[in-house]
Amino acid sequence: MADDDYNDMDMGYEDEPPEPEIEEGAEEDVENNNEDVPDAFVGAEGEEKEEQEPVQRPRKTSKYMTKYERARILGTRALQISMNAPVMVELEGETDPLEIAMKELRQRKIPFTIRRYLPDGSYEDWGVDELIVEDSWKRQVGGD
Amino acid sequence: MAMGMVRREEKLRCTKEPFIEDVGPRRIKSLRFSMFSGDEIRKLAEVQVWNNKLYNESAKPVDHGILDARMGPANKSGVCATCHGNFTECPGHFGFLKLMLPVFNVGYFNLILNVLKCICKRCGRVLLSETERKQFLKKMRNPKAEVLQKNLYMKNIRDRCKGPRCNNCGYVNGVVKKARGPLAIVQDFGKMLDKSSDECRAALSHLRGNQSSQVLHVLTPLTVLSLFKKMLDEDCELLNLYDRPEKLIVTDIAIPPLAIRPSAFVDFGRSSNEDSLTSILRLIINTNSFLREELEGSGYLFKCWEIWAHLQTQVVEYINSEAPSLTESKHRGLIQRLKGKQGRFRGNLSGKRVEYTARTVISPDPNLKITEVAIPILVAKVLTFPERVSCHNIEKLRQCVRNGPFRYPGANFVVLLDGTRLHLKYGEKKNVAAELKYGYIVERHLEDGDVVLFNRQPSLHRMSIMAHRARIMPWRTLRFNESVCNPYNADFDGDEMNLHVPQTEEARTEALMLMGVQNNLCTPKNGEILVASTQDFLTSSYLITRKDTFYDRATFCLLCSYMGDGMESIDIPTPALIKPVELWTGKQLFSVLVRPNANTRVYLNFTVKEKIFSKPDRACLTMCPRDGYVYFRNSELICGQLGKATLGNGNKDGLFSVLLRDYNSHAAASCMNRLAKLSARWIGNHGFSIGIDDVQPGETLNQQKKKEINDGYRECHEFISLYGEGKLTLQPGCNAAQTLEVKITGVLNQIRAKAGDVCMRELHWRNSPLIMSQCGSKGSPINISQMIACVGQQSVGGRRAPNGFIDRTLPHFPINSKTPAAKGFVANSFYTGLTATEFFFHTMGGREGLVDTAVKTAETGYMSRRLMKGLEDLSVHYDQTVRNASGGIVQFVYGDDGMDPAKMEGKDGIPLNLDQLFMKIMATCPARDEDALSPSEISEIVDNRFSKYDVSPEGGCSSAFKKSLSDFLNNHVAAFKKTRSALQLDENYVGSRNSNKIENVAANISGITSKQLMVFLETCIYRYHLKKVEAGAAIGAIGAQSIGEPGTQMTLKTFHFAGVASMNVTLGVPRIKEIINASKNISTPIITAILNSDTLFSARMVKGCIERTVLGEVAESIKLVLKRQASIVIKLDVKKSEDLRLGISAEIVQSAILNHPKLKLKPDEVRVLSSRKLRIIPNVGNRSKLRFGLHTLKSMLPKLVVKGIPTVERAVINNDKGRHHLLVEGVKCLESQDLAFQR
Repeated sequence: MADDDYNDMDMGYEDEPPEPEIEEGAEEDVENNNEDVPDAFVGAEGEEKEEQEPVQRPRKTSKYMTKYERARILGTRALQISMNAPVMVELEGETDPLEIAMKELRQRKIPFTIRRYLPDGSYEDWGVDELIVEDSWKRQVGGD
Repeated sequence: MAMGMVRREEKLRCTKEPFIEDVGPRRIKSLRFSMFSGDEIRKLAEVQVWNNKLYNESAKPVDHGILDARMGPANKSGVCATCHGNFTECPGHFGFLKLMLPVFNVGYFNLILNVLKCICKRCGRVLLSETERKQFLKKMRNPKAEVLQKNLYMKNIRDRCKGPRCNNCGYVNGVVKKARGPLAIVQDFGKMLDKSSDECRAALSHLRGNQSSQVLHVLTPLTVLSLFKKMLDEDCELLNLYDRPEKLIVTDIAIPPLAIRPSAFVDFGRSSNEDSLTSILRLIINTNSFLREELEGSGYLFKCWEIWAHLQTQVVEYINSEAPSLTESKHRGLIQRLKGKQGRFRGNLSGKRVEYTARTVISPDPNLKITEVAIPILVAKVLTFPERVSCHNIEKLRQCVRNGPFRYPGANFVVLLDGTRLHLKYGEKKNVAAELKYGYIVERHLEDGDVVLFNRQPSLHRMSIMAHRARIMPWRTLRFNESVCNPYNADFDGDEMNLHVPQTEEARTEALMLMGVQNNLCTPKNGEILVASTQDFLTSSYLITRKDTFYDRATFCLLCSYMGDGMESIDIPTPALIKPVELWTGKQLFSVLVRPNANTRVYLNFTVKEKIFSKPDRACLTMCPRDGYVYFRNSELICGQLGKATLGNGNKDGLFSVLLRDYNSHAAASCMNRLAKLSARWIGNHGFSIGIDDVQPGETLNQQKKKEINDGYRECHEFISLYGEGKLTLQPGCNAAQTLEVKITGVLNQIRAKAGDVCMRELHWRNSPLIMSQCGSKGSPINISQMIACVGQQSVGGRRAPNGFIDRTLPHFPINSKTPAAKGFVANSFYTGLTATEFFFHTMGGREGLVDTAVKTAETGYMSRRLMKGLEDLSVHYDQTVRNASGGIVQFVYGDDGMDPAKMEGKDGIPLNLDQLFMKIMATCPARDEDALSPSEISEIVDNRFSKYDVSPEGGCSSAFKKSLSDFLNNHVAAFKKTRSALQLDENYVGSRNSNKIENVAANISGITSKQLMVFLETCIYRYHLKKVEAGAAIGAIGAQSIGEPGTQMTLKTFHFAGVASMNVTLGVPRIKEIINASKNISTPIITAILNSDTLFSARMVKGCIERTVLGEVAESIKLVLKRQASIVIKLDVKKSEDLRLGISAEIVQSAILNHPKLKLKPDEVRVLSSRKLRIIPNVGNRSKLRFGLHTLKSMLPKLVVKGIPTVERAVINNDKGRHHLLVEGVKCLESQDLAFQR
């Protein structure tokens, strides 16, 4: 390889890092880059703003989806998909029901409502699309 | 046979189903447990059992025998004679056995005894006066009274029932007692006897020899039964009984169904093997029939008594075969079936044996991802996952079915829509595959990517069982990446591990989400990283990042390709040297490792001080002479040799921790994967081993070691000779022998340490053990110096070797020898070899370690269990409260801040590591041409941001966090001002960057632009909100594990004591045990008393007041004087008392003697002769007792406490930078009147 070659590449590498995207997870592979992930986040930010106006909804519980809720939703959705339920997103060759369920959650297309029971027996209903999901879903446990 | 066939067919059928009203689901309001009465048992039973025979001649169960077929089918081929159900349908039916005479139930024996104590033994009424009875009844009936309260009332009632005379019938009751020997109750009239009985006995003494039998009356179960039957319901209520007390006495035994005590034929049906219960019951039937014969016939009374007692013991054995009244039993009683680890509850109901499990030996494989586990094909063919056929997988499953159970990847079963299971071993696999339809379930072999749970015992914390992805591989072991050894605490010396396969889509999803390795990189105890590189990975990283490693293009590219499997794109950085040849440094390899290509947008920024770090003089930290300061900037390794602090587990600011926090778990995991592959492959080529030459001491080392040892020995000998002469200056709170031990131990430890230092200094830098110890992969400096220089002092129980022979450790040494060698100091190294005695001392220390681990595992295991049982039901609810299972609030907010400890980034549980975060923001978000903000602008922006909703307490932001954030920024502003004033610029007004060169410099040093500040604030606040504990977290279990798991790591008792001025404090496992047991008497109670005036003088004064001083310590002599009048003369040591500021006078001693409760001396017997002399002339009437009286007095006097608090063992003055305070060993200091306590 000639010197020029890697000098070209260096331009990409040595460059100052781009503006930080704090909310966005890094460590994406090339093929992952064309996914519509940021969109989901714009949605999330929007929701956040809405929630900040306290009068709008009297709901008290956290606007973040807990990992237990996430596990439950994905589990149930994966079971439905494995039993031939119609899939709500475009598939790109995925066959594993869990992976399909994750993709649905990422695009906020899971048609579920979470009923959060408070200890006094009352409950709050949150649509899955209303909750902010932490971004660590990307390819869980290396199952790629 | 024919009869049986017919009966099976004519099952009981009603012509019309009986109408049962459907009332819908109901809520259970309460449960109450009680005993069955004899009548109830008989009604419940299907058959009376009286025959002690098991089988008749035709091997059929005997009617009315203990295996009567009416009690249910005994095995799979049998049919129930009652309900005609087969083994799976029939629930089993009870029989009953009528006892000829009632017996006590062991389980309720104490209750029976307590009830008997409270009632009249003639009329059965409670032994209370009418008013008292009413009072207590009112209390008992109070609906608010809780169980504990009621038990307390019951205790009060029992105490009040001591009066012998019954208020109702006037009968004089004796004291009810448990009789010695087998289960029996007696009434003791001994105390009721008055003088008249003495007279009577005296008068009759010539007639009878045996008098005592008159006093004890046996209360037989029969009399007790009739007494209990007489009791009024009201009295039962008073005695806190929910049911009739006669049920406490066994009159009939319910014979359990055959299903729980199966009878098995052995020896081709010639004999049968009976369950323990059956055999005990059989014995009971036997005894019972003997008793009947005796009772019905004209048997002797005493024989009946004997058989009755025998029946009693047998019934006891049936219920509790380990009851103390039984001598020994080879049977298992009912209690033994239920109780304990192997019992029904813990062994069969709470925990069960499961299917879809594998267990084999484990071995390492660095080529696997950290999230994977390699499963042998052999195992994968047995473990299956039921996959439902859908449009996505039908072709794959067809192929699996075609392969069948013996060819991988195949399938073992197909379940059709109607539930029929087809085994693919039999039948035409091709046809089944062709007929596969949507909705069928195929139990296919395990395949790559399946979720499995992986576990190693002991499962002490939640990371002991994690979800991995399966990788099906050849050979016969379970394999995984060494980075995951830590959470499992596994090594590969023959460890075995378990593997479970979740069987539903939901289970595998939840396992992956909650238990996945990637989601458990951190321990929930404190947020430290647990899955991290170990051992060889650290060594090779350390060697690669050496300052002198350079690679040419070929090697560097080869090493880069080691990181992956040749599929990843890697961007090679600019070489560090371009001329004369292109060379890359090892540090650049790590830059590539963290960020392999430009598309990986990982910008890592952190600094860590490695173990080898030494602060450079007058230079910045990065110029560490040993390259121990690791600095990553924008994913480039600027300086530092990587070791355990950067890459290893158990810290919070290492490489993987920062990756995990700043990016995500996938980033950290893939980096770990790359590092594992790189280092395993690199070290395989580079080579790394230990040889004998690695532990060969050099000439200088030998000389210096010899000198150190000689010096130390001389010092020790000096101490010993001083001790022999009694001239040793004592240490506070120690006697001469203890002082000697402390001094010698100090000297000997010094020798070892010095020899170790010399050895570490002298070793060549390429010495393998040295490298390993420096990078933290294995071994410590102590280990190295033990191999090369000197093994050092061997300790047993935290002391030098004890005397196993008379006054010496081994017969090789003179008696009472205290020399280093005679007490277990090993001067040799492992290289030079140990002498025979040294070797023996070494084994003593080694043995202690082994014994200790064995003992500690059992102890800590039980401790963990108790912690877990106490806390298991606590969890966080959606309103952030911590509640137990019954909804009771334990905490309003978890940990009072609602933060999840697993996500804490800073030390001491602080949510964010602001320094690191700030560094990252400054590096990733460069100022470029923007101007730095002035201090006023900064505070304006910060205030503006802080006024928003999500930073307010209602928005979920604690004031502590807000304060730490503003403090951090204030510090930064202060630093900025300082820089500016140092550069002679205006502190408050900031000019444009381009206007002035000095302005530019100032902005570059510590300026912050508005964009940087905003990004910093946003990141902090956003991250803070994500660090809240999630609703639903089982924090009780996490808490219990976080205490229990470290407990098991604490071995060796020696670690459980920490000395403070020769005062030991119990720590570690024994201390946790004390806390959990809530022990009243803790082993080392120590009070730190801070004094109002902290001079040495006042400390001595207080010490004199507090510390227990006994007469023996302050008396010069205590003499027995037998002249004229026998007396004891006490002479006080005035000088000593003055030295110690005790201020003890003869009067004080006199009052102390008089106040002593046991001496019982009167004021005229103790005379003060002078200020330092006392005389005790005991007034004993009987002269013959005088001599002994004086001697006992003389022996008691030295132990008499004359001053101080009797419970205080000792007090030690502690000098803390000129301020003196006391450490008081003892309790009950408040009870002393002559001390005034503040705060």
